Amino acid sequence: MATTAIPPQEETPSAPTTIFRRPASTEGFWGWVTTTDHKKIGIMYGYSAFFFFLLGGIEALLIRVQLAVPDNTFLSAAEYNAAFTMHATIMVFLFVMPMAAAFFNYLLPLMIGARDVAFPRMNAVSYWIFLFGAIFASSSFLFGTSGAPVGGYLPDGAEWASRLGSMPNGGWFGYAPNSLEAFSTGTAMDYWAVGLQVIGIASLISSINFIVTILNLRAKGMKLLRMPVFVWMTFVVAFLLLFSLPIIAVALFMVTFDRQFGTVFFDATGGGDPVLWQHLFWLFGHPEVYILVLPSMGLVSEVLPTFSRKPLFGYAAVVFAGAAIAFLGFGVWAHHMYASGISTVAQAAFGLATMTIAVPTGIKIFNWMGTMWGGKIRFKTPMLFAIGFVSLFVIGGLSGVTHSIVPSNWQQTDTYYIVGHFHYVLFGGAVFGLFAGLYYYFPMLTGKMYNERLGKLHFWLMFLGMNLTFGPMHWLGLQGMPRRTWVWFEEQGLAFWNAVVTVGAFVIAASALVFMINWMLSKRRGVDAGFDPWDARTLEWMLPLPVPEYNYAKLPTVTALDEFWHRKYTEDEDGRAVRRDDYDEIVAQLEHEGRNPEEEIELPSPSYFPFLVGFGIMFVAYGVVYLSAGFGIWLMLLGAVIALGSFVGWSVEPLEEHHGGHDGHAEAADHEEIEDADAEEVEA
Amino acid sequence: MIKTLDRYEKIILGLTVLGLILGAGAIALSVLEAGIHLPTIEDRIDPAAVRDTAPFDEPGVTINSDGTATAVIIAQTWLWEPDTIEVPAGTEVEFVLTSPDVLHGFHIWDTAVNAMVIPGQVTRVTQTFDNPGEFGIVCHEYCGIGHHTMFGRVLVTP
Repeated sequence: MATTAIPPQEETPSAPTTIFRRPASTEGFWGWVTTTDHKKIGIMYGYSAFFFFLLGGIEALLIRVQLAVPDNTFLSAAEYNAAFTMHATIMVFLFVMPMAAAFFNYLLPLMIGARDVAFPRMNAVSYWIFLFGAIFASSSFLFGTSGAPVGGYLPDGAEWASRLGSMPNGGWFGYAPNSLEAFSTGTAMDYWAVGLQVIGIASLISSINFIVTILNLRAKGMKLLRMPVFVWMTFVVAFLLLFSLPIIAVALFMVTFDRQFGTVFFDATGGGDPVLWQHLFWLFGHPEVYILVLPSMGLVSEVLPTFSRKPLFGYAAVVFAGAAIAFLGFGVWAHHMYASGISTVAQAAFGLATMTIAVPTGIKIFNWMGTMWGGKIRFKTPMLFAIGFVSLFVIGGLSGVTHSIVPSNWQQTDTYYIVGHFHYVLFGGAVFGLFAGLYYYFPMLTGKMYNERLGKLHFWLMFLGMNLTFGPMHWLGLQGMPRRTWVWFEEQGLAFWNAVVTVGAFVIAASALVFMINWMLSKRRGVDAGFDPWDARTLEWMLPLPVPEYNYAKLPTVTALDEFWHRKYTEDEDGRAVRRDDYDEIVAQLEHEGRNPEEEIELPSPSYFPFLVGFGIMFVAYGVVYLSAGFGIWLMLLGAVIALGSFVGWSVEPLEEHHGGHDGHAEAADHEEIEDADAEEVEA
Repeated sequence: MIKTLDRYEKIILGLTVLGLILGAGAIALSVLEAGIHLPTIEDRIDPAAVRDTAPFDEPGVTINSDGTATAVIIAQTWLWEPDTIEVPAGTEVEFVLTSPDVLHGFHIWDTAVNAMVIPGQVTRVTQTFDNPGEFGIVCHEYCGIGHHTMFGRVLVTP
């Protein structure tokens, strides 16, 4: 096992005992590639996700420029279709999900008082499979092809020539039979289906890892109902992923089989059923909405109490409401497909289920308001984003409730009303929550403070831009503007609000620019954050900043919910929180202890194999796309050899790197957890 | 374990329950009383033989003896056949649609008609046009590169 630099190491390179050595470097390029440290993996997840946020954002701007004026030809129809398909695919699968995964990875062990996740190498493999899957899916920009349907014709203005126009263009929902071979010729939709399949593997792996970590690695005394709400939401999301991803995996396999091997699962001419795809897709797709928004709900539940200086109102209610949302989320999928023709009983059932899901969501909203009520609110940037989340999510939630009324839902189907609604939920909700988290944990990540003024500018610009962009979409939708349509016409009377929406999109883009400037400047030149900059409540803020590699020098023992707060504060006779008399000593001691572990701490060793597994799987994916071209089978073989070979290496690589004179086994009981977990992982 | 509820809490709980009851009532009313039904699967059809199968062998409008009209429309990439439906004002029109290729969406502007047209299935939807005028038909379900060109109209004559 790798050891940290404290106390001074006796590690000297010595001859390897097996053919596979574990990499020794923990710094530099190879340090990142081979790392199994959950914090580094979280950071890599975060930066990758943000890169895709920018890509998806550029596509959004292209879409909005195209729709700014009537009869526009800024993009060709093919380019427009590819832009809205990839915008949604990237934002959902390559930005919000991995950004949430970044927080899960980085925070989960810190919040439950552990030194790493249960299976550190599985954590790494999840990231690398995600990254290579994302690279693969995006590479359709370079290699993808698409063309007119078999026997079809090309309408005016439909040019396929550009690279953008040759990306996947069947919509992120990929409705069959349009996504099948006959109507989406070329390789673009293969890239889409196989790319999502690969990215799904990554999420599935990490969901199992998180569930095991939460159940097994909590610090002493941290009962389930003493876990921070964010940990609870991670737990719930992990189960959602575990149950919903296999559904889309099966559906994507069926599409891939239809496209590659001539099966007819969704092809009506061969007796298949196109509606089956819709059921499968939305049976995954609706829980997916909660996969996207629950992590942000968790983050907001951390931020609001800290900046209101009050405990979270109705902790248990918030936790169980989150679980209830996840459970009910599996029972509402058909409200996405009322126009497809479903029976009266099903309409009523799904309408009622949709209405019911508003109840746990409402419970959360009222508890967040109750948390702020009467609190000493400090309007720092994370708090602004958290309040923004609550207010915008209410709007998105309410327009969502209108979908439970069948006639209203039916009328709104495929109009811009829907686009407005889910952007309030996913942008006003999920993305605002993620930004609240990014600002809140910036000091933990870097040890520096961000620039408060730029942070607030970012918030107000984004808040304004968001409402300008997505508010008017409701009205456009009610006026009848259809989604996913390349042009609209002068006579439709949609000009004014479409112009406003486009302006709003650029305001959002400007706000993202402010965020990036703030991040880069503060990371380099920010003020030192010190210890516990927010006077926070939860365990992870007991650590010195930035967090040392080993997290906790001594694993903590937990006696209460909001453990850190209770160590710092006590109650006076009136039940008000007052600082303990020895507050300064407690804090100084925590910081000192955190930086100076008494004994050598073992951490999971780095490994080459997670990276190689991801690398190999990418070739398998390319192979599937080019199967019909003949050379695909060789790519698949190459990928399989790399991936399977890596699994062999994974299984036989030594548990620890031999370091002279210091046997890692004889260590204190504190470290057994991680060691055992790593051992179990190898056995498994 | 529950102590006496605060008055505001009681009010908010009451309003929530009331909201759910009203909502459930609205669903029941819309289905049972107002008779609002979503299109349901009426018939199956072989998508490869649409043009050889009645009634799609003769797409177009027929005025029935009872004064109602039936409009048989094929939705295909990327046009409506026929793309103009002409009916006198006050006529109850039953639209009968199918698709020989991909999913399409049949939406008539300024009406509640919005139905998915599914290959292999026949979609039926009914609408009465009381006032003369022109109503645009658009394809509401993304159907590929020519999706934006799928326009049609309902001409309601006085």
